[in-house]
Amino acid sequence: MLRATLKGMAARKARLALTSLAVVLGSAFIAAALVLTASIKTTVDDLNGDSYAGSDVLVQPVEPETAGERHVRDGVPADTLAAVEAADGVADVSATVTWMVNAIDDNGKVLGGFAPTMAVNWGDESVDRELREGRAPESDDEVAVSAQFVADAGLGLGDTVTAYSLSTDETVYDIVGVFGYSGDRDSLAGATELAFTTVEAQRLVFDGRDMYTAVALTAAEGTSAEELLRTIEPLIGDESTAMTWDAYMEETNARAAQTTNLIGYFLLGFGLIAVFVSVFLIANTFTIVIAGRLKEIAMMRAIGASRGQVIRSVLAEALLLGAVASVVGAALGIAAGAGLTTVVANSFLDTGGSSLTVPVSAPIAAIGVGIAVTVLSALAPAVRASRIPPVEAMRSAAKADKPITVPTVAGAIVTAVGVTGIALGLTDSFGSDRTDMLAAAVGAGLVFVGVSLLTAWLSKPLVSLLGLLWSWTFAGKLGRRNASRNPRRTAVTAAALMIGVTLVTATGTLLTSVEKSLASQFEDNIRAELFITGPVTSSVPATFDPEVMDDLREVDGVDAAVDVYYDLAQIDGTEQYVNTSSDLPGIVEQFGGELLEGSMGDIGEDGVAVNEWSANDLGVGVGDTVEATFTRGTEAHELTVVAILADNEETDGWYVSPKYAEEFYTPEPNLGLVDVAEGADVDAVTAEVETLLADEPAVSVQNHEEYLSQLTVFFDYAVIAIQLLLGLAMVVAVIGVINTLILSVLERTRELGMLRAIGMTRGQTVRMVTVESVTIALFGAVLGVGTGLVLGWIVQLALVDSGIDEFAVPTALIAGYLAAAVLVGLLAAIAPAVRASKVNILGAIAYE
Amino acid sequence: MPLATPPAPPIVRNAVTASGLWRAYGSGEAQVVALRDVSVAFASGAFTAIMGPSGSGKSTLMHCLAGLDTTDRGTVNIGDTVLTGLGDKALTKLRRDKIGFIFQQFNLLPTLTAEENILLPASIAGAKADPAWVNRVIATLDLSDRLSHKPTELSGGQQQRVACARALATRPDVVFADEPTGNLDTRSSAEVLGFLRKSVDDFGQTIVMVTHDPSAAAYADRVVFLADGQIVRDLHGPTADSVIDTMRDFENAVPLAGKAA
Repeated sequence: MLRATLKGMAARKARLALTSLAVVLGSAFIAAALVLTASIKTTVDDLNGDSYAGSDVLVQPVEPETAGERHVRDGVPADTLAAVEAADGVADVSATVTWMVNAIDDNGKVLGGFAPTMAVNWGDESVDRELREGRAPESDDEVAVSAQFVADAGLGLGDTVTAYSLSTDETVYDIVGVFGYSGDRDSLAGATELAFTTVEAQRLVFDGRDMYTAVALTAAEGTSAEELLRTIEPLIGDESTAMTWDAYMEETNARAAQTTNLIGYFLLGFGLIAVFVSVFLIANTFTIVIAGRLKEIAMMRAIGASRGQVIRSVLAEALLLGAVASVVGAALGIAAGAGLTTVVANSFLDTGGSSLTVPVSAPIAAIGVGIAVTVLSALAPAVRASRIPPVEAMRSAAKADKPITVPTVAGAIVTAVGVTGIALGLTDSFGSDRTDMLAAAVGAGLVFVGVSLLTAWLSKPLVSLLGLLWSWTFAGKLGRRNASRNPRRTAVTAAALMIGVTLVTATGTLLTSVEKSLASQFEDNIRAELFITGPVTSSVPATFDPEVMDDLREVDGVDAAVDVYYDLAQIDGTEQYVNTSSDLPGIVEQFGGELLEGSMGDIGEDGVAVNEWSANDLGVGVGDTVEATFTRGTEAHELTVVAILADNEETDGWYVSPKYAEEFYTPEPNLGLVDVAEGADVDAVTAEVETLLADEPAVSVQNHEEYLSQLTVFFDYAVIAIQLLLGLAMVVAVIGVINTLILSVLERTRELGMLRAIGMTRGQTVRMVTVESVTIALFGAVLGVGTGLVLGWIVQLALVDSGIDEFAVPTALIAGYLAAAVLVGLLAAIAPAVRASKVNILGAIAYE
Repeated sequence: MPLATPPAPPIVRNAVTASGLWRAYGSGEAQVVALRDVSVAFASGAFTAIMGPSGSGKSTLMHCLAGLDTTDRGTVNIGDTVLTGLGDKALTKLRRDKIGFIFQQFNLLPTLTAEENILLPASIAGAKADPAWVNRVIATLDLSDRLSHKPTELSGGQQQRVACARALATRPDVVFADEPTGNLDTRSSAEVLGFLRKSVDDFGQTIVMVTHDPSAAAYADRVVFLADGQIVRDLHGPTADSVIDTMRDFENAVPLAGKAA
């Protein structure tokens, strides 16, 4: 029997190849996800290893108690440096001064991006900087810049660059050198660096104090890192801390691992979705292949093979195919993982090189899942095949469609249970928020599974409806009929696309709803027409000179101009957003806030206003006192609560006297609100404000739309990220549709031969198959869009209490998905259509 | 157009003619010559059967006549059109407009109803079949109450009747039937053959049928016998008995025929 199986497999290469493709794909995705995750982790670890490379012990300032990453920091004092330099067993010392600064590019705007702009001291040898052009900075008005800076800022050798930090005003520097990094890299992880003399770097970073961000020590020969650590620990005082380089790396890598693990889960999620979709493909392909072999199986049964032998023969074939395909898949996946690692490393991390890591789990998981999925997928069709009486299968009568009652009934029940769960959850039937949320979430998941099961039932009416689009040609009509011919097959094929489209539509809908809810709250509340603000991505928060506000108020058509200062302060030991302004009542007015108790005028010198939610959070009311320490503040201030504001997205937080602005992280205003008078020309006012801001490189004037789009920019990135998910689902879907169509074409050879014999042209044949393909793909996309919209709507409803009170449909995205589905259908049709049009008429109609 | 008076040709014209056909498959030692210098003409408005043992070349001959297979040498005419040398497009158009097919396996499209199957060739051509004519064909074949059925809901005999109607619906110059009764029981066979006979007598249809069943051949006006790729006998006004006799006769003579080639 095994011999017959092997011979049979050899004789059906085309079908075999298609089945394997689905398995290969599933295994490859798993392997690629695992390899990519592991490799990114190694690469990031290597990248971390670049900092203070070669040193043994690191001395760093003790992290200040006030959390948050952007404090004005203290460093390791110079006398500590001198003390450790002189210690026994120290061979070499390098002192680093580095922190974020803002630099102004050739357009006069602050350089901003996801990677920071850093000031460093050129004298620091702990990083391998390699001078490419010019020379090192020798005086305090000179700077050497990284090649990445040249690319980003459009400035180079011989130009001047303006830079400033939290502690310095704008200063102009001559660019005297351009440097890169070991391994011919332009940057480390994409960051832009400006290298100054140590004194100038200290002026930028530590406000001129003789301090260092870190001191890296190399142990003398014969001294171990641990010995060196013990030697210097007593020398460094309370404000500094020391650790071995290994311990530092461990800590840094562990911190980085939190991010890389997230990426890993994300990728594995991709992989699992691909496998989930592949299961559909594999099961579908096996069912079709076995259906096509019923005659052969019947013949085997007729000449005496038992049912068990038939099942074993099919399973043996599945096992062999699964093994070969998943090994190929694992290999391809590892290769893809390696390729992707290089791409990620070069384009996102800018490492110049990457470390490929192939965890043992990658091939094991890929091959294990591949074989298991194949064999399990083949089991049901194998059992079904063995149950067919030999005589029946040998008759070549037209076969009636298999009933789809079981999946339909199951799907209806699962969907109903899911809808009930959602309804109960959304109507707060369980009494506890957590149970309600859980019920709604499980319900949403069940609806997803239920609809997947219902696809076969839905396919009849929906496919024939969608097919109407192409029914104006006869070939199109035939294609439409073919698409609804086998609901089970169409459904499973379309499900591959449906799953992906559902996920992206649901997330897209949710994000659009969030964005719209924010926007309408914003529109409802905010009175100011114009905002003066800078990019959120600048390294040092964008600020401007408060004197500009006085000039603004003089502009014709300006009713009011309010400056706003932000800080992340400690209030009663918790981190809180604090605002101030030279016009405190003005903020509330411009932001459409509402006072529940007291008035903003009562704040005076030591009063504080707070929104209701934050007050309740800290358990304070009017008349109570709180202790507030601002970012740059050295001591706590006792403030008395004088007013309570109603909760409102825009006015939430604490409000203090403007006299504390100098203790804020940025002592200048971060935001200006300009209220344009009724009837005044907004464009003219905008133009005047722009002129007044000509000397403020960090900020620009924005209208509502521009300001909002800046606030919601991260949602846009999230939307782009989920499009990648769609891309993946589409690749799988294309292969799924190709698979089904080629098998259908093989199955319908006789029919195609007849059509060609009675006069159907090749072009018509191609059109017929293309319509079938596009219809199936579009069916999957329509189902996915429908399910995704419902799921997105459910989540939005669940979030109404969190302020997401508007439902918005991402129409452009959905139109894009449908267009993409048509493209998928067209691409998938190419090979099967060509094959169908080249059917050998004689071979097809000849009597067997 | 008067439906009741089909054009009965005053002089015998030929619907299909073949002259000097050669067709070989494979090459070298494995070469099989399927047709050896076959010349034959099929009269318009006549029912001709092609008979012969397995491997005699009767199917190859039909395929070459119908523009489904190419010939190595010789020419085929359907009406005024010379098939030889035509490209795929022209051949497809010719099959669509001038030829009807009836297959042993019925070959109906399972997605279409009986009526849609009947109108299939016209639909493919993007044309409209003459409704009066189609109705008459459907009535003759007794399919009126089966029109909305799918092929899976029809018996074998009914399916083949639908296939016959499909072949005739466009009033082709010639209908080629390839073992049309091969998959049918005796009664259904008789119905189908009776209809083919009727379509020749009443509508003046030209039919060329390949069969190996002497009683089916007896429905024809003329039987052409093929053996080893050559025409060996030509029998007019056949009966089942005369067909069997002729076959027995030339089967004994086959070795001679082989040597004569």
